[in-house]
Amino acid sequence: MGMELPADRVPAGYATGEAVRKALFFLLVTLAAGSFSLVMTRKSFAGSLETLAEALDRQVGAWTATGQDGTYDGETIYDYIDGAGEVYRAYNMRGCLSRRYAAAGEPDIVLDIFDMGSSEDAFGVFTHDRDGSPADVGQDALYRQGWLSFWKSRFFVSLYMERETPAAKETAFHLARAVASLIGEEGRKPAILLGLPPQGLRDGSVRYLHHPMLLNYHYYLSDENILNLGEETDALLAMYSRDGKRARFLLVRYANPEKAKEACSRFLSHYLPEAEGKGPLRLENGKWADASLKGRFLAVVLEADSRSLAEDLLAEAKECP
Amino acid sequence: MPVKKIITRRDFLRAGACITLGSFIGLPHGEGSPESGEGRSRVVLVRDRGVLDSKEQINRIALQDMLDGAVTALLDAPDPSSAWRRLVTSRDIVGIKTNVWPYLPTPAPLNEAVRKRLVEAGVRQENISADDRGVLRDPVFQRCTALINVRPMRTHHWSGLGTLLKNYIMFVPQPSRYHDNACERLGAIWQLPHVKGKTRLNILVMLTPLFHGTGPHHFSRQHTWPYCGLIVSQDPVAADATGARIIQARRDAFFGGDRPVTPLPRHIVAADTRFGLGNSRPERVELLRLGWQEDPYL
Repeated sequence: MGMELPADRVPAGYATGEAVRKALFFLLVTLAAGSFSLVMTRKSFAGSLETLAEALDRQVGAWTATGQDGTYDGETIYDYIDGAGEVYRAYNMRGCLSRRYAAAGEPDIVLDIFDMGSSEDAFGVFTHDRDGSPADVGQDALYRQGWLSFWKSRFFVSLYMERETPAAKETAFHLARAVASLIGEEGRKPAILLGLPPQGLRDGSVRYLHHPMLLNYHYYLSDENILNLGEETDALLAMYSRDGKRARFLLVRYANPEKAKEACSRFLSHYLPEAEGKGPLRLENGKWADASLKGRFLAVVLEADSRSLAEDLLAEAKECP
Repeated sequence: MPVKKIITRRDFLRAGACITLGSFIGLPHGEGSPESGEGRSRVVLVRDRGVLDSKEQINRIALQDMLDGAVTALLDAPDPSSAWRRLVTSRDIVGIKTNVWPYLPTPAPLNEAVRKRLVEAGVRQENISADDRGVLRDPVFQRCTALINVRPMRTHHWSGLGTLLKNYIMFVPQPSRYHDNACERLGAIWQLPHVKGKTRLNILVMLTPLFHGTGPHHFSRQHTWPYCGLIVSQDPVAADATGARIIQARRDAFFGGDRPVTPLPRHIVAADTRFGLGNSRPERVELLRLGWQEDPYL
């Protein structure tokens, strides 16, 4: 299953012998399965939340897991995190494992592991909350006071400290690394990221989403779903900065060019009815907006400080797989 | 020099259900809405800095005084007992709808303060129950004739704000059916037969409101503050709209500049304009302020 013990759980003098045994085991499996094992590699990370729960220590330093683990699906998630469950459902959550760690005189640490079904959606839900400082856990991690989150493979992981203390923070990071290690292999980011113009893309500004409510959460556009967003669409919202000029950019991939064209037409008629295909339109606040089609991709400059920046971003957006 | 706010097309589009510039911008009221005609809704904001100690533990006596003062002023009554006797009778069966969200629940001392006044007004102990998630199974709630709605205000991942209006979502067996479009249709729950017309009092708890949240648990202590207030009204929409303005002002002050509540808590205005449950616009609210006046954010 690709399970790995966290480095700090490996007894001294054990590592070398264990490494040899692992190598031999891997060789035997590879020989037995031939090239098929290589095909299977992408699916060989931790298979389920149950597997992770079994493998993860219930004692971490002074903290001990209390009570039974909670497990939730797309319906029961509301019982656990109330309306916040909708955010995870909007990214196709398959399940959630919750475990609470407690220590005498210290705040509880709540570990939540969300199985998002795909690495793309694990990345997506991670991008929903982008405040915080980058941390070295999983494929991307962010730390803010009292909360550490990361994503790896198809899992999004949250460690919430009910009150932050130095010991709780250290333990949360330790736990996070243990979970990341158990998850094993990394997953792919959404392919649509390749369609974003790279120049001037602001670090940490990208949000990947499907649901129109989430677009409105980050950038209110309309009560109506004027871009026809939904489960079959992938969308990226990103910020750019070039030569002191800034822009907010949206890229959406539809199921086919016809649907992209339909969405473009709907967007223009609802949001930029004056545009009439004459290029970027100056908005009431002096910023520029426009949209353009590229096959099944719709690129939208929602706000740019200059006309030329809007034109450049639309020209540079690429079709991608 | 103040910067002039430019109204963009996005502002215009969200004007139907949003908070901007620290105040509600509402759509025209529906002609037929029963509580949105010429009448204004009275809302009492009562605050007492002494209701919380340095560790934000509640002073029960101060809290009881706040509640009493607010209800008395709300109903223009000579004293709390008279006020509560106008709200309930000895024949009433009363459900106190609380909120058990673990990070910011309805404070137990406030439930006790409400219960105390209900009993003094003649309601029998066995005819009072406080509940949240079990209201559909609670025998008192099942036969209740009156509801007292009590909950803290907080930001909310999907509805924008956790409000008095939203607090009734547990009166339906499948709450997620009301989650569409940022829970815009929450007002419809108030028109269900087992709920409609029963609410005698709404108490929006503003002791330590949550003005921002992130992550699955949507709570961080740094995004609460000791506002030390209660908002009390018979109109849940007016109470929520008032609380929403406070939250918005606090966000703007904390983050520096416009930081709209997101998603937009459109259910508040919808409760006014679509469901006729009360008044969301400030000019339709008669606000009475009692007690501590520092940093009111209003």
